Amino acid sequence: MLVRIGLIAEGGYPYVSGDARLWCDRLVRGLGQHEFDLYALSRSERQEDEGWVPLPPQVSRVRTAPLWTAEDDGVVYGRRARRRFAESYGELVGALCAGGAVDGPGAAADAFGAAQHASATEADRFGNALYGLAELARDEGGLVGALRSEVAVRALERACRARGALRTAREARVPDLLTVAAHLERALRPLSLDWYEDDGLGSVDLCHATSGGAAALPGLLAHHFSGVPLLLTEYGVRLRTHYLAAPEASPAVRSLLAALHGRLAAETYARAALITPGNGHARRWQERCGADRAKLRTVYPGMDAARFAEVGEAPECAEPDSLVWVGRIEPAKDIVSLLHAFAEVRKEEPKTRLRIVGSPSGAEGAAYLGHCRALAAQLFPDEAEGPHTVGDNPVSFEEIGGPEIPTLADAYASGAVAVLSSVVEGFPIGLVEAMFSGRATVSTDVGAVVEVIGGTGLVVPPRNPRALAEACVALLRDPERRERLGAAARARALELFTVEQNVAAFHGIYLEIVSRTPVRRLVLDEAGDPLPFAVPAEAHVPGRWTERTARLVARGGPARPPGAPVRATALPATEGAR
Amino acid sequence: MSSGLGGLDRPGAPTSPGAWDERSEEWLSAEGAVLETAEEDVQELPEGDVRETAEGDARETAEGGVSESAEGGVSETAEGGVRAGAADSRLAAFDAPTSTRTTGPRPASPRRTGADPVKALMHRHRALCERAVDPLEIAAGLEAHGITDRTASRFLHRDVFSLAEEMYARVPRDADAPPSPAPPDAPRARADWILLSLLPGALCTSAVIALHLTHGQSRLIAAAAGALAVALALRAALARGPLAGKDRRHPCATRITWLAAYALLGDGLLQTAAAGGPDALPNGAADGPWPFTTAPVLALTLSCAPAAWCAHLLAVRARRKLSSSRALEEFATSAKPLLLGAFALYLGALAALLTLTTSVLDEPLAYPQALTLGGLLFLARLLTTHGFTHAPGLVLTAAASAEAAALAALFAARLPGCAWLATPVETLVDTWGPSAIPTAACGTAALILLLHATRTLTRASAHATRDQP
Repeated sequence: MLVRIGLIAEGGYPYVSGDARLWCDRLVRGLGQHEFDLYALSRSERQEDEGWVPLPPQVSRVRTAPLWTAEDDGVVYGRRARRRFAESYGELVGALCAGGAVDGPGAAADAFGAAQHASATEADRFGNALYGLAELARDEGGLVGALRSEVAVRALERACRARGALRTAREARVPDLLTVAAHLERALRPLSLDWYEDDGLGSVDLCHATSGGAAALPGLLAHHFSGVPLLLTEYGVRLRTHYLAAPEASPAVRSLLAALHGRLAAETYARAALITPGNGHARRWQERCGADRAKLRTVYPGMDAARFAEVGEAPECAEPDSLVWVGRIEPAKDIVSLLHAFAEVRKEEPKTRLRIVGSPSGAEGAAYLGHCRALAAQLFPDEAEGPHTVGDNPVSFEEIGGPEIPTLADAYASGAVAVLSSVVEGFPIGLVEAMFSGRATVSTDVGAVVEVIGGTGLVVPPRNPRALAEACVALLRDPERRERLGAAARARALELFTVEQNVAAFHGIYLEIVSRTPVRRLVLDEAGDPLPFAVPAEAHVPGRWTERTARLVARGGPARPPGAPVRATALPATEGAR
Repeated sequence: MSSGLGGLDRPGAPTSPGAWDERSEEWLSAEGAVLETAEEDVQELPEGDVRETAEGDARETAEGGVSESAEGGVSETAEGGVRAGAADSRLAAFDAPTSTRTTGPRPASPRRTGADPVKALMHRHRALCERAVDPLEIAAGLEAHGITDRTASRFLHRDVFSLAEEMYARVPRDADAPPSPAPPDAPRARADWILLSLLPGALCTSAVIALHLTHGQSRLIAAAAGALAVALALRAALARGPLAGKDRRHPCATRITWLAAYALLGDGLLQTAAAGGPDALPNGAADGPWPFTTAPVLALTLSCAPAAWCAHLLAVRARRKLSSSRALEEFATSAKPLLLGAFALYLGALAALLTLTTSVLDEPLAYPQALTLGGLLFLARLLTTHGFTHAPGLVLTAAASAEAAALAALFAARLPGCAWLATPVETLVDTWGPSAIPTAACGTAALILLLHATRTLTRASAHATRDQP
């Protein structure tokens, strides 16, 4: 069965410098039996100039639009259109100014559910206003100019001064209003796109938004205009990213922008047919922002397991007394704590060595690396085997690509126990790599570590060098346990975190969505009028297999083994230690 | 897939005592004060079970004098409950911290938790708490600092979200002092546009000098070269600085050229046409059969510099008013005098320049037509700069076509039977002189634009910087 998928990405695939291009590329290449239309929003002019990655033949069309700039199309609204705009925009900002879930010290923590319930009408108001603006943009154009106009700023001011507005919004001054209006104009740029016609997103069977926020907006509108089901994949929750990256601004601006992103996220979660968070952490945030639990399907990111096959199959090649840490060197990885833990380990097991493999990221990382090197030199004096040999430090800082460690897999092969000491972590890629390599691991309890490791490694609290040291010593002294844990970790990783798993999961989800929420399209007669009862209910077969049969056969339809819809991909090993 | 931390404090090389300031020191060092502090804190706690826990904890601490490590700071009941709750969700071995709860001599640690662990946490993250606009922001910040649901359970909360909610609810908020944001940096006067705005005037002056020094063929060449140089200089001057437009196109260039050409030649042509001429092409002299009026044009090109300054002044003042005003209406009221002031300032500067040029070039004074034309061009440019291109284009077209129509009427009247066409123009010229035509055309246009500008340029949205994030 052939499904036509509209893949919407913001600043990602198919641009060379895109964010999530690797998994999108694996997904598109892995599902060669489907047809993909790419809808890409570019984030900067530089990104556009750098070009695209090579696209496989199943990508039938690519449409791009810039998010970093918007041309005013010069349409000046008449009286009726202006009133329509003012109404919709007023509703939109009214919903924002009415605030999110909990406001002020009066609202107790346990009243959250009730407050959320009460804000359901506000969410409705936001959604209706959003679609009102989108319809206006489709009918009349000129939304960019209108969003920048005085009408918009006045509506915003009125909403901020209205009764029941947020406390912070009431304090908004004129520059704050202008800043919020500019942000809104930027955030609503996807509304002015010409993607929602019948030959655009209206013609696909399924929209797959690869992130929340701006990329989900076209999917929402396609759902609104044409009833196309929306699948939302979030490896990192956009709302959380917004909070962490929130610019320095007045409280009024920040609270209104937070409300905008929160409302947009809630609307996306409410309209999406299915939501696939990348890990349990993202899932908790989505549930918290109002996503229905029944719609959530965790799909772990897939990684290329082939690189680690050789190392993983031969666990005995490891040096028995060495710990290894692999990753990008930056303060959030808390290598200082690792060094302190290693000092404790050395008290118990004096022959142990620690290899820190990775390169610093940015100037801050380089400074941190220098600090760690100094600390290591201070904590551990150089030592030699006998009085006549040259000594060296038990802690070594190495980079991948050197003579000793040519590849990432060799880095893991060099240690008996892999250690992760981060205090902050999203999805721990380094830990998954260690699992693929069949190493026993000791990691700190941060981010998605516990759900990734399952029961196949030791977990200690973050910022606790003594606990880390105790766990390391326990594993160093017990090679049998090490081997058992390593094998279990490899088995778990092979089951959960491979590319094939990821692609197969999305394949199943696509089919599920298309069969459960198919797009109902009207059949038109010769005169162009809708033909009543043209499609009887029992005649509905998901997908469009009837008119595409020829092509399926031409591409070897009958010869395809029926049970293997997913093609495993062999990608070059470009993914270094990240 | 690592989380961006933004400007939050992270683990790293120590650069300052960080959150441990004098207050923390006092709070920790007072051995006997622990009980007092604890009881004080207990009063603020909303829930009964927390109070019990806290009191028990505080008593134990005060009596025994044994400090507890951070991990062991929660009482037995709390920890037990947490363990039971978390057991199903966690398969991993997690054995280290429990050892600190054993009886017997515990290692003395410099850290200790008071009766209210959340208060200590809030103290550590007080910048985050004070900045936060909703609980989710605190939750995101806490997670970025490595606090997980397991850590939150130590504070008797189910997850980070409910911990963040308690912290958000407990942040003291004094309603009277919202932190005022830093005012947006006002546009600075820069050397490049100041020099460029002087360029057209300088080139025009040298062109006029060249016209006076040359004769015949070379004078024609000098005039053409001068006109070209001034046009290019004007283009460069308007490309940057406070008079730069939003887009690079110059939609009104032909209309402006026509208006300037009329200021240079129009009056002479009108006069000679009314007298039955012109019989010869202009020879570049002010006293020829078709006289050049170079003084107004020279004054106009020289006034590029004051125009840029006035626009700059308006932008700076408007920005200042913008950041100090609370309502849009307030800004509109305060921006109107600014606009009128800048316009008057420009007209004053132009009048002074006109006096100078006419006295130097020894030409008849031509205030009305030059001042109205200058005002019209200044307002049109100001509106274009702020993104309003429609009205200036329309008004400039109207003014230019009015002048053209006057000239065309004079010539068309020479056709047989059309003499009546010239009657209104001739009446005007006879009553007020040839300057009446451009004065009336430009004056009306300038007035219309001034009215338009007082409505549009006093809007806050006109002064917003477009390239904001």
